[in-house]
Amino acid sequence: MSDFDDHGPTSLPEPPPPPPEPEPPKPVEVFADYVDGMTAGVERVSIWSKPDAILLRFASGDELTWALDDLRALPDQADARGIVVKPGHDSLERLIVRDPGIAIHIRENAKRLGQRPPVTNIPRIAGWASGAVASVALIIFVLVPIMANQLATYLPPEGERALGDATFGQIRTALSSDASPVSLCEKPEGMAAITAIEKRLNAEVDLPYPVEIAVLDHELVNAFALPGGRIIVFRGLIDDAQNAEEVTAVIAHEIGHVANRDPTRDALRSAGSIGVLGLLFGDFAGGTVMLFLANQLVNAKYSQAAETGADAYAHDLLQRADIDPKWIGTFFERMVEEYGDAEGVMAHLSSHPQSRARIEAAATASGGRTYRNEVLTDAQWAALREVCGPRPASDDGNDKSPDDDAEEEGWEEPDTRRQDAPTGLSGDN
Amino acid sequence: MAFADLRTDYAGEKPRIFNLALVTGVFTVLTVGFYRFWMKTRMRRYYWSAIRPGGIPLEYVGTPTEKLLGFFTAVVFLAFYIGIVNLILMFFSFSLFEGTAPAYAVSVVGLTPMIFFAQYRARRYVLARTRWRGIRFGLEPGVAGFVWRSMLHWGLTVVTAGLYWPVKTYYLEKYRVDRTYYGDHRMHQGGSWKTLVKPMIHVYLALVTLVAVVAVTTVTEDPRYAPLGMLGMGWFVYGLAHWKAQSFKALTETKTLGDVRLRTAPRTGRIIGIYAGGWAAMFGIFVAASIVIGIVVAMIVAAVGSNLFADIEEGNLAAIPRFVPILFGLLIYFSYFVFWSVLKETFISLPMMKHFAEVTEIVNPDALRAVRQRARDEFAEAEGFADALPLGDAF
Repeated sequence: MSDFDDHGPTSLPEPPPPPPEPEPPKPVEVFADYVDGMTAGVERVSIWSKPDAILLRFASGDELTWALDDLRALPDQADARGIVVKPGHDSLERLIVRDPGIAIHIRENAKRLGQRPPVTNIPRIAGWASGAVASVALIIFVLVPIMANQLATYLPPEGERALGDATFGQIRTALSSDASPVSLCEKPEGMAAITAIEKRLNAEVDLPYPVEIAVLDHELVNAFALPGGRIIVFRGLIDDAQNAEEVTAVIAHEIGHVANRDPTRDALRSAGSIGVLGLLFGDFAGGTVMLFLANQLVNAKYSQAAETGADAYAHDLLQRADIDPKWIGTFFERMVEEYGDAEGVMAHLSSHPQSRARIEAAATASGGRTYRNEVLTDAQWAALREVCGPRPASDDGNDKSPDDDAEEEGWEEPDTRRQDAPTGLSGDN
Repeated sequence: MAFADLRTDYAGEKPRIFNLALVTGVFTVLTVGFYRFWMKTRMRRYYWSAIRPGGIPLEYVGTPTEKLLGFFTAVVFLAFYIGIVNLILMFFSFSLFEGTAPAYAVSVVGLTPMIFFAQYRARRYVLARTRWRGIRFGLEPGVAGFVWRSMLHWGLTVVTAGLYWPVKTYYLEKYRVDRTYYGDHRMHQGGSWKTLVKPMIHVYLALVTLVAVVAVTTVTEDPRYAPLGMLGMGWFVYGLAHWKAQSFKALTETKTLGDVRLRTAPRTGRIIGIYAGGWAAMFGIFVAASIVIGIVVAMIVAAVGSNLFADIEEGNLAAIPRFVPILFGLLIYFSYFVFWSVLKETFISLPMMKHFAEVTEIVNPDALRAVRQRARDEFAEAEGFADALPLGDAF
């Protein structure tokens, strides 16, 4: 008897192989499988409908009555035509119904099948959630920046140099539109102009190591400093600048970053914080974008302060070199005219302070006195503008503001010598 | 009275797993990842309930909120390690070696024990939340032993360039299975590592062939040997499928729970078929979807008409609100990821589990009658560490 009771019929293949044909509830006996949550046996029970309840009758003659209101169905089950129910949230008992007729009967009559168990651990979740947020915030906003600031000053120059070289290689590859990295512009006359700017600024005394300025053949209107004193100016910036003083002002700003060792701090800080942010987003589909945005948000907070610091340094350096600090401002003024200022959400994501504020700061630093300026001779300036090779007029069409066209007097040899550029790569074709 | 062996039914269906994976995947994206705990829970409930040994479905009783809690717990501990330790490593890496590689290497090696820790804890959580016939599974605490064994066996696997793989697989499986309970009964992993060498034989031979082809081609500089490389690659793929089927068989048929045993017969050909068919289906759907998107974009452009082209030509892109292309890009980006995983669940994971379930039987189920319930393993941290560390979505 007990053999049969326990799990006899279920174990045998014959009696109820999944009955695919839907049979409506009939007065004949219908069966389901019952487990008691105490032993691993399965018992075959017949199911009877009672008012507000179902009755489970065992082969032994024992009966169980489950109130319909207590029944809870297991969610997300694979067998959609059957149903698995339990008598209450905490019960270990299960009734596995494969007969579609009974399943329909239960679904139609039990009203609280889908009711979820109350979530009991909300206070604990809230506690650990605040703990997690607090520890991440503490690490990203306090510990990592402090340590990065401290460690940056202890890093030997060779180490910084290596860090910068690694980043430089990555940037050249990342900006490239084909397989080879973006090429360096190294026309001797143009580089001589760069050296002249360096000499004029004469910043060596403030720097932990000498700066090294390179020009990249790419149309981005940008410049940045890397750990170890490397400063990168894009061709697009030189193209967009109205005169040598504007280029000088930008370089002075980047020297400010080098003097403050900002790039090294940034690199160390990212090393600490990006992994922590990665923890938060896990590996859900497309989480990389969230990671990138979050990191951008964190970095922006620091780099806006760093930019302001570099600007202040540049104002001072330019004044010492008898160059008007307003040139930082004029450059941004034109940027704002062309691309608009970052405000609202974008202002938080942007790594630079709002341009209007910078323009005003530059104007204040200028302070109404007169400056000698004249960083480069006309010949030097022309050489600087061709540091990447002669500039075909067609190259400048894209985003040039009309007033710039005035300077483009003599591009008499258009496309011919273009191929002479190193690796023949021009970045924008 | 002798009882028939319990065959396993499989109730999972492609359209339903597709819907479930799609809905939960979209929610996960919309909640910047936080719905993933609900997604995992719901997917597991479905996958578990699809497997029905003797007609009784497995039940997954883990809850999303305990996963969320476990995740927060793990973040509190891991954030410190990952943030501060990585920063210090990076510093020393640049000071002493002037490069990032040593830092990454040390960081990975430093994380390895934590990954094994997370694996064992996740297995313990999942087993503790799995029931069949109302009885809980369980895994005994023993994470320290697992971590050092994993370090040792994985180390040997790396040192021997993979030759050691079957031995590693056997001993790590044995460690876990010997600590696994069904109710109050402890499971046992019999057999020996030698039984796993044979399933790996095709992989070894294919690799030897590939190395030989490369060597001969390089020495003789005769390109005629190169096609043999294709043969070797094909053999290697066959070898992997063979390993998947036969290592499962070797490990499953030597597992016992008292007098209860398992019998299984997965087929290498079927596994290759599932992968080939699955990849073909996914590729076909992605190509078809790209064509449809292309047509839709073309129609939109046609509808918006001439001024769009004029704007582009004049470089006057500001005419289009700035958020439109950003939104469109994000939509495409996330759809790609969501559909990738949805289609993988539908066309590879589900058919694969169906095959393995349907070929597996429980031998001598009569002995299960002696099994009694075990106490609940509260396990507050759930699988938080496995979730925070990118371990992939292994079940």
